Amino acid sequence: MALPKRIIKETERLMAEPVPGISAVPHEENLRYFDVTIDGPSSSPYEGGTFKLELFLPDDYPMTPPKVRFLTKIYHPNIDRLGRICLDVLKSNWSPALQIRTILLSIQALLGAPNPDDPLANDVAQRWKEDEKAAIQTAREWTAEHAKKA
Amino acid sequence: MSAKIPRNFRLLEELEKGEKGLGAEACSYGLEDGDDLLMTNWNGTILGPPHSVHENRIYSLKIHCGESYPDVPPIVTFVSKINLPGVDQRDGKVDNTKLPCLSQWKRDFTMETILIEIRRYMALPQHKKLPQPPEGSTYT
Repeated sequence: MALPKRIIKETERLMAEPVPGISAVPHEENLRYFDVTIDGPSSSPYEGGTFKLELFLPDDYPMTPPKVRFLTKIYHPNIDRLGRICLDVLKSNWSPALQIRTILLSIQALLGAPNPDDPLANDVAQRWKEDEKAAIQTAREWTAEHAKKA
Repeated sequence: MSAKIPRNFRLLEELEKGEKGLGAEACSYGLEDGDDLLMTNWNGTILGPPHSVHENRIYSLKIHCGESYPDVPPIVTFVSKINLPGVDQRDGKVDNTKLPCLSQWKRDFTMETILIEIRRYMALPQHKKLPQPPEGSTYT
């Protein structure tokens, strides 16, 4: 199946003008499937880490949002143990006007602004609310342990 | 031809379907380790088909989805002892050549497809009356 022009254009632009701290490279044998890395935002517990993700553009993209998941273990109230992400723009607030680029920026922003009031990982969110300092410390330790730059 | 869904997103879809219990009632499956980002090892259960020697028995299985799943079928192994052609009596491993869904695997088949077909296979006239090991015995 020919790749829709929209996807080709987005991919070309991601390559030509990459977003600082974010990379997205399509798999050669499946151009709808991307290897993604996101650098942890500075002055967040994820600073210094590089996080691997995977992204897939389903058949009906851009009418439905991309599917995105963390492949690197991360301690974050909106990301669960399997790397699934709770983010409005990936679900109900998706709009075809958004793009791979904007989604990845939103995920990077989510790393800088964890939202324990809309949790996916309930145990993490609870700890975040009860003892934010300790939770942030754990997030730092996980970053050092799992998200070290190669 | 539609977009080819990658292994991990396919397994996430199967997981969500399994968790919500949207599948067939007589079979269920879930991740063995909820922390396994690679989602390789799964537990399955089959409720023995009615009007057979298996009625009211619950069979546990292990399903191993390798790196190439779903391009290739998973490895399916009975944990619960069962006397069924195609199940290795030493370790419970299911012989892929004996089950049509495994020998003629298609990419859109799922773990649910396999469990349902095994259950149907257990209920075949030539299988449903085979003498069975004691209920609850296992291969390991």
